[in-house]
Amino acid sequence: MSIPIIYVILRSLFAGAERWLRLLDQRIPELLWNTLSLTAAVTVFTVVVGVALAWIVSRTDIPGRKAWQWLLALPLVIPPYIGAATYISALGRSGPVRELWQGSALLVNLFGDYPLNLISFWGVFFVLSLFTFPYVYLVAGASLRKMNRNYEEAARSLGLNAWQIFWKVTLPFLRPAMGAGAVLVSLYVLSDFGAVTMLRYVTFTAAIYFQRAGFDTASASVLSLVLMLLTLAVLGIESLTGKKSKYYQTAGTYREPATVNLGRWKLPALFFVGCVFFFSVLLPLGILAYWGSLGVRMGALDQRFFAFAFNSLKVSSFAALLCMLSAMPVIYLKSRYPSAISSMIDRLAYAGYALPGVIVALGFIFVFNNHLPVLYRTFYMIALAFVVRFLPQAMQAGEASLSLISPRIDEAARSLGCPPWQVMFKVILPNMLPGALAGGALVFVSSLKELPVSLMLRPPGFDTLAVRVYFEAQEAAYHLAAPAALLLIFVSLIPLRYLLSKY
Amino acid sequence: MSAIELIDVTKTYAGTAAPAVQNLNLCLEKGAIISLLGPSGCGKSTTLRLIAGFERAEKGTIVLDGKIVSDENTWIPPEKRGVGMVFQDYALFPHLDVFNNIGFGYRGKDLKERVREVIALVNLQGYEKRYPGELSGGQQQRVALARALARRPVVVLLDEPFSNLDADLRGLMRREVSRIIKAAGATAVLVTHDQKDALAISDRIVVINGGVVEQVGTPREIYQFPETSFVATFVGQANILDGFLDGNGHVVTAIGLFPCRHTHGLPPGSPVKISVRPDSLELAKEGEIKGVIAETVYGGDTVEAVLELRDNQFRPCRLLVHLHPEEKIKVGEKASFKVLPDFVAVIKR
Repeated sequence: MSIPIIYVILRSLFAGAERWLRLLDQRIPELLWNTLSLTAAVTVFTVVVGVALAWIVSRTDIPGRKAWQWLLALPLVIPPYIGAATYISALGRSGPVRELWQGSALLVNLFGDYPLNLISFWGVFFVLSLFTFPYVYLVAGASLRKMNRNYEEAARSLGLNAWQIFWKVTLPFLRPAMGAGAVLVSLYVLSDFGAVTMLRYVTFTAAIYFQRAGFDTASASVLSLVLMLLTLAVLGIESLTGKKSKYYQTAGTYREPATVNLGRWKLPALFFVGCVFFFSVLLPLGILAYWGSLGVRMGALDQRFFAFAFNSLKVSSFAALLCMLSAMPVIYLKSRYPSAISSMIDRLAYAGYALPGVIVALGFIFVFNNHLPVLYRTFYMIALAFVVRFLPQAMQAGEASLSLISPRIDEAARSLGCPPWQVMFKVILPNMLPGALAGGALVFVSSLKELPVSLMLRPPGFDTLAVRVYFEAQEAAYHLAAPAALLLIFVSLIPLRYLLSKY
Repeated sequence: MSAIELIDVTKTYAGTAAPAVQNLNLCLEKGAIISLLGPSGCGKSTTLRLIAGFERAEKGTIVLDGKIVSDENTWIPPEKRGVGMVFQDYALFPHLDVFNNIGFGYRGKDLKERVREVIALVNLQGYEKRYPGELSGGQQQRVALARALARRPVVVLLDEPFSNLDADLRGLMRREVSRIIKAAGATAVLVTHDQKDALAISDRIVVINGGVVEQVGTPREIYQFPETSFVATFVGQANILDGFLDGNGHVVTAIGLFPCRHTHGLPPGSPVKISVRPDSLELAKEGEIKGVIAETVYGGDTVEAVLELRDNQFRPCRLLVHLHPEEKIKVGEKASFKVLPDFVAVIKR
């Protein structure tokens, strides 16, 4: 699994001093600034918004609390590149909003020319924040719901008021969750390819893609190495702070946290939650529905569409199957026979997950081009790259169900006369199957939506739905992109139920 | 013939210096209920896992039903040992119902009859189609026991069988488990850190401490005549005193004469340690042991008190005594006690 990545590192190290110097001199500082400022801004903003939403929805008496709890997780099913496309189609240079604005003399006279420019830092910031805040929201919400009421009551008995309790008890308690959410968001922003390129903002992923498209693979691998280091830095910060902030709750005496009465803040809170939901779910879906119905009437659901859908289905289900099959033995060995080797395999699997797709794809190009030309540019290569990227999703789901099976159960089966291989088939497998299937579904959906790897590795003529959405949106053929985008979003809804129950 | 024999068994876990079990020798007879009793970390669970085959001893021989299952050259895996195990958390298979859990390991042709038979034995008729998640703690334990008994194992091992049950159920299940094992005619070894479990259910108790056997005996022997100071203080409470035998059935100590019938046949004049149970000191006007009550703890059925007195060299000395709850003695009052000989025993270590 790590071979493609090692290949990228080696390639970059042998790229030559001259190339390194040139890149270090010109490209890298600019890319670093673009990438880091975007990552930092989106992370900080999503943490604030995510925690605020989580608190409002899980701890106050906001009307429709239960419904909001899952409605606010919905942006997770909209891939940011699709979100970006919908915003460009509506608010961009040739969008209807600009035309309305420029057409009204009053607005132009009062406020000048159309002020919104999506092709900018703030445009990218806005779009990425809209579709990544659920990471923080979900993790923080889970923490808030698990928090024992006793702590807040203890603080109250010690003389703190509600405001002080929020700052001195609730917020510190949330720190691990905020950290975890922030890491998820920053890893996502670092790896995002579709939304940034759609909005013509150049970060490392985009630069790597374009270098590779211009056949300058050496420069691409140099940039990849820098991006890898950034990713490692984020993971390093997480493990550094993660160790210090492990909080343990006293078991056994759990009581559900109290709900805060919002009073006159009810309306502002409702407005805030509603706004977020409108911009991150309703508006994009509405725009997609408009373009989609237009597209269907113009015959977008033609033979080509179904061919793309079939390609997507083929490559994603193959990847899901491979992931399920390879995840189960890895998880089983890791939990039952922990050793240095099994934990190393585990780490490697997660490394592929944290790394941006463009790097994995680049590594695959190197390896398959040089050593496995038979598979080069076949859909098997894409599926294998998906396995590298998404195996941990299958592993986590399987692990969750295996962790419920105590090792005593294995021993019970042994003492009842089953040799180890029978234990595996008669006891472990039936109990792990629901988790493994859920993991497979997660991998399936992630593969379906995946963009950079499909884009870089696809054989000529082998377009998937995600690739088509991307190209058609870039060519402003929104009516062709929308039906496919809607299909992707609709399918992504399926495993959301599982994801939500996990948090 | 003995059901289980452990000869010189030593087991050290990887990464620890001290062995969990050290040169353990045990011989457990057939058809009995035997408890391994000791504090947590004493090696009793390890002993159980060694017998079951979940751990392998680095030294020594384990014999089950006359067959060597583990020594330097032999290793029979757990599935071939014919040992039934009841786990602390029961370890019922969550994907199988009661009937299939119990029938899981049974290989005979009469599967249905046998399962029905054990279900009747543990009084779970009507629960065949339930899943473990739908059963109470006591019912889960019955299923676990039935599952272990279904294959007619050489021996049933029970790991802390009562620790997951609350107090009411505990008493009931002690009687039930003992009845079921006797009715099945099985040999059982159970591990517990609770002396009440051990005293109530066992034919024999093996007290283990620090990986070493302290004493083997019937519950009465263990309680009445502890052989080591560990046994005396771990199983019930005890006052440990130094003295010597006078040859007339008494032990002479610094605070007075103690009648003692259990002397291991030691010659008069031998220096000994004795264990004196608090119950063997009875409040009596003409008692020889006189002192001042220093503490009392009211316990409902009995009052625990500490008697403070001076020995023959005027050094302070404290004795734990039990008072009848009717007695209303206050702290600071004088009291005198006489000694009942039944709960005084000479201990070896």
